[in-house]
Amino acid sequence: MMNTNERGPLIKVEGLRKSFGSHLVLKDINFEVRQGEVVTIIGASGSGKSTLLRCMNLLETPDSGHIWFHGEDLAAERVNINRLRQDIGMVFQSFNLFNNMNVLDNCTLAPVTTKRTNKEEAERRARTNIESVGLSEFIAAPVTSLSGGQKQRVAIARALCMEPELMLFDEPTSALDPEIVGEVLNVMRDLALGGMTMVVVTHEMAFAKSVSDRVVFMDQGVIAEEGSPEQIFGNPQLPRTREFLARYLED
Amino acid sequence: MNRLKQIQQFLKDDHRYVFLWTSLVAMVGAWFSTQSRGPKSFLAGVYAFEVAMYWFLMAWLAVSAVALVWKLTHWKNYEETSPFTKPMAKKLERVLSFAVIAVTLVLFVDRAVMGLASIIEVALAQDKNPNDFLGSIVYMLDKSGDIIAQGALITVELAVFGTLIAFFLAILLVFLRIQEIDRSDNDFIRFLKTFGCEFAKVYSTVVRGTPMMVQAMLIYFLGFNILRNTGMTVSEIGGIWSTFVAGLVTISLNSTAYMMEVLRGGIEAVDPGQNEAARSLGLTQWQAMIKVVFPQGVKNAIPALSNELVVNIKDSSVLSVIGVLDLMFATKTVVGIHFRQIEMYVVAAAVYLCLTMVASWLLGKFAKRLSVEPAPLASVSDMTATVGTVAGTGSSEYSLDAKRREGHKHDEH
Repeated sequence: MMNTNERGPLIKVEGLRKSFGSHLVLKDINFEVRQGEVVTIIGASGSGKSTLLRCMNLLETPDSGHIWFHGEDLAAERVNINRLRQDIGMVFQSFNLFNNMNVLDNCTLAPVTTKRTNKEEAERRARTNIESVGLSEFIAAPVTSLSGGQKQRVAIARALCMEPELMLFDEPTSALDPEIVGEVLNVMRDLALGGMTMVVVTHEMAFAKSVSDRVVFMDQGVIAEEGSPEQIFGNPQLPRTREFLARYLED
Repeated sequence: MNRLKQIQQFLKDDHRYVFLWTSLVAMVGAWFSTQSRGPKSFLAGVYAFEVAMYWFLMAWLAVSAVALVWKLTHWKNYEETSPFTKPMAKKLERVLSFAVIAVTLVLFVDRAVMGLASIIEVALAQDKNPNDFLGSIVYMLDKSGDIIAQGALITVELAVFGTLIAFFLAILLVFLRIQEIDRSDNDFIRFLKTFGCEFAKVYSTVVRGTPMMVQAMLIYFLGFNILRNTGMTVSEIGGIWSTFVAGLVTISLNSTAYMMEVLRGGIEAVDPGQNEAARSLGLTQWQAMIKVVFPQGVKNAIPALSNELVVNIKDSSVLSVIGVLDLMFATKTVVGIHFRQIEMYVVAAAVYLCLTMVASWLLGKFAKRLSVEPAPLASVSDMTATVGTVAGTGSSEYSLDAKRREGHKHDEH
């Protein structure tokens, strides 16, 4: 059923629909991400981009449609979602660190609890990842003592500790002060260069332009336009894409 | 400790208030002096000395009045113009203010302490209940105090054990209550979760919606009748299903419902994003609950949970209706012996008040200990040592944030 060879899509969304009450948020989305690809999803607030991302690891349950990952349909009833989520890392807008733990424990909790690795291996891996986001000196600090940028970098390290195949970023810099957005984007850029498959919902157009392989523009619950960054930013086809980008490039 | 320091400073350093507050002390002293002396008063022998003390206090009041009037009329330049602010005068005022306190203390001991001592002595020597309020209390406590002490002990036992048992039951019940159907659950788990959640809801509604007095009656007589049907005699039943056991069961089951709601509130106050993050990493609902949400929820709930002990100390009094020999029952017994209601119920109120005050003081210390941050680890203190090398990346913010959180904590108290 599912094409699992090297060139095939890592995750494939088919005919996805989702509504909150009577409000239809996602209208028949078809979308796929290949291994190693960095896809950014842009669009106005309320266009459904965060909902699409949250459907991709089932934090939102779709009304209908399929999400193929590892040959299994995430949207199917009674799929073992906990096991599949172990391969999909997620970074949230509001960091969502575990406030009752320090930085190291945030990173080792999931690998140890889900029995992905033993404790020593998890700690070794956590140290490597915490170092790679530049926070070695905060390894034992309670997370409530960190600044926003530091928290988000810990959140990225925490997701990486599960060694996921796919990373989802849900507006990772929207809650940060402008001057510390850069430190998080740099970490993400390094990750992209390292070959991680990433789906990033963002308002950082410069980041989308320079890092992504493909840009998806969403509007009113549908994928309005998608293509390479050169196409979308250089020569957008639809008037609404032009309009949206014009508004952003003004700022 | 801080307050002690404040008082000390108030006494010693702040010249402006010396008159204001020591004149109040002097007034209290003078009032004691006008009271009649008890038989054990030691000042009765040295009448002239007491007169001197009285007039000393009066003189102090007069001087204070002058100083205060001066202050009112020279509000702006009091410091410069007033004769009371000269260095020598200041020193003298301080010495005299201590003398005022000493004199008032002497009068307090003579009238209040020695007065009480003589009331006690007189009351203890009586062979029938004296008519005065304090004397009667002393007399009854002397004759029947052991009943009250026994009752207080039972009350404490009921409250402490009841609250502890209720805490563990509430933890179990709140787990049932906050279950949600997860996608990967099979039909059996779904059934158990639904059943558990509904059970917890119904339990909470029924228990919180009926009076504990009625619950106590129901539980006691239900247990009694069940054992009676097995063919046990009344005295055999009394051995295992005593009123104390029935009372303990009642207070535990009652408190469980309230504590469960408190715990649920604490758990729901934990930012749902943390649960989402845990789930997104592949943790099951149960793992996310145990490792992330629950520890924070319980911590949120600790102040309200500990309040439940105080509530139980008071509410255990209704268990006296099934014959639990608690403080309320003991008080009623003593009233029955001596026929002095107001005096004994004042005693009962005082004992309950002492118990609840001690309980909330202890719980306050306990809660403070639980909510302190974990002791900083070695690498954290290393970190503060390297502030200079990582300037700008947030080390300074670390301490700033920590302080801000300290501030919040103070606000909460």
